[in-house]
Amino acid sequence: MLSPLLWMLATALTPNTYIAPVSFIPKDVTFENFVEAWNFPRVFDPKVTMGTFFLNTLFVTVSVTLIGIVVDSMAGYAIARKQFAGRMLFTYAALATLMVPIYVVLVPQYLIVRRLNWLNSYKALIIPFLASGMGIHLFRSHFLSIPMELEECAKLDGASDFRIYMTIIMPISKPVIGTMAILKSMWAWNIYVWPLVVITDLRLKVIQQGLTLFQGLNITQWGYLCAGMTIAIFPLIIVFLFMQRQFIGGLVAGAIKG
Amino acid sequence: MIVASKKEKLGYYLFILPALIVFSVFIFWPMIHSFILSLFKYNLMTINKPEFVGITNFITLIKSPVFPAAMLNTIVYTLVTVPLSMMLGLGFALIMNNNLRFRNFYMVCFYIPYVSSMVAVSIVFSLLFNASTSGIMNRILVMLGMKPVGWLSDSKLALPVIMLLSLWKDLGYTIIIYLGGLLAIPREIYEAASLDPISSWKKLTRITIPLLKPTTLFLLITKTIASFQVFTPVQVLTDGGPGYATTTLVTLLYQKGFKEYKMGLASAAAVLLFIILLILSIIQNGLEKER
Repeated sequence: MLSPLLWMLATALTPNTYIAPVSFIPKDVTFENFVEAWNFPRVFDPKVTMGTFFLNTLFVTVSVTLIGIVVDSMAGYAIARKQFAGRMLFTYAALATLMVPIYVVLVPQYLIVRRLNWLNSYKALIIPFLASGMGIHLFRSHFLSIPMELEECAKLDGASDFRIYMTIIMPISKPVIGTMAILKSMWAWNIYVWPLVVITDLRLKVIQQGLTLFQGLNITQWGYLCAGMTIAIFPLIIVFLFMQRQFIGGLVAGAIKG
Repeated sequence: MIVASKKEKLGYYLFILPALIVFSVFIFWPMIHSFILSLFKYNLMTINKPEFVGITNFITLIKSPVFPAAMLNTIVYTLVTVPLSMMLGLGFALIMNNNLRFRNFYMVCFYIPYVSSMVAVSIVFSLLFNASTSGIMNRILVMLGMKPVGWLSDSKLALPVIMLLSLWKDLGYTIIIYLGGLLAIPREIYEAASLDPISSWKKLTRITIPLLKPTTLFLLITKTIASFQVFTPVQVLTDGGPGYATTTLVTLLYQKGFKEYKMGLASAAAVLLFIILLILSIIQNGLEKER
């Protein structure tokens, strides 16, 4: 099961040869390929390395995850706890967004971002993804399970709705926040087609786009290619190994409740 | 119950406002706009004003030779990968549900491809299945005394390689979801069944599989819908080629929209994709009601 990835790692560690090794154990170990791969984007722009792509991806992932959780939980809170005109309409509308496949709206989304002059900006990578139907739905069903008395007491003490949400509701919702953080960050890290469409400036590219630069390399440069892929794959695998339980829990929660 | 004041009621809307704006601008309006655009001729490269052409885009699209190819490839891809992935997933989940030694280790092995980036693993596959004689799969073929083949440049083999990649990458997810379903089956049912002499095959076909039906339905539907939208591995491995051998519906949409900048044609493809996915969702609803 892991053989393609093990081969990748072995080849990345092998000094560059014109013929790819058919082996899982490198004979002489070298880290030179990683250095070369890291600096490879400099061919196109001397200021850009793999690090640039990493930082861009990290910035987008963290923004989408953190702001997204606030936006989703606020909306989920209002529709779970409050009575107001249009509440059910909004609830169903949020659910309906789950039915809209990204590719169906790709062209109009691109045209909007273009008209807003957001092409080649972080805004284009972050703002369209700040709200998710799945997130609102998961937060809503969690908030419904919290007893109403809890906030009515605070209400009698004169606390505002926003304060109740911030100081009472959110602190006891850590498990859902964790699940959402994993789902959102995994999604944001691997996003590919949208940046492909809205980002053409090399300095703003995300890691998935950066990888495709390696396709321009001569195919015989096995070592560099594999080192580049290893650099892109391993951070997430390491995060996964540390947070395995939460990862799997998040996935199953998304499947059952989503 | 505390009665809310007018000011508080207004406050409720502030809670949903950010989400409402994002949804309206980036999902609801684009959804409508997609349908409108599909009726216009709108080439970003040449004209800057959309021109109303009625259903011409749909006719052009359906009559172009690439469309039936894309449709067929997408259907073949779905019909092969979805059932295979589910059977393999269920099989491995059943094996792992026993108190297997090193169970966690196997779990991680299956799961690592799933968390790896699709672009990166696609590029690794393109190295493994490289057409030159120095490609790994070709070297293995030669070692076994066979002739090297073109893999991704062979119109008969390119799609199967992409299917293999998808199967390999997503198997871990299927296993996890099936394991979740297996854990939800109450132990008492098996205990009750063990009072009667019953073979383990019968246990599987009469108890386990019927009780897993909700999980199976969920996987069947989500996987079918996802398969109809396969894009990244195709884009990275073959870009739809050789010829139209691996062009799928979304590859077609992407090429019309973002290579030829024919936004009207791309929107027509998007509308067709949406209708297909809608029909699949309606079938899903029917299946769920039946249950």
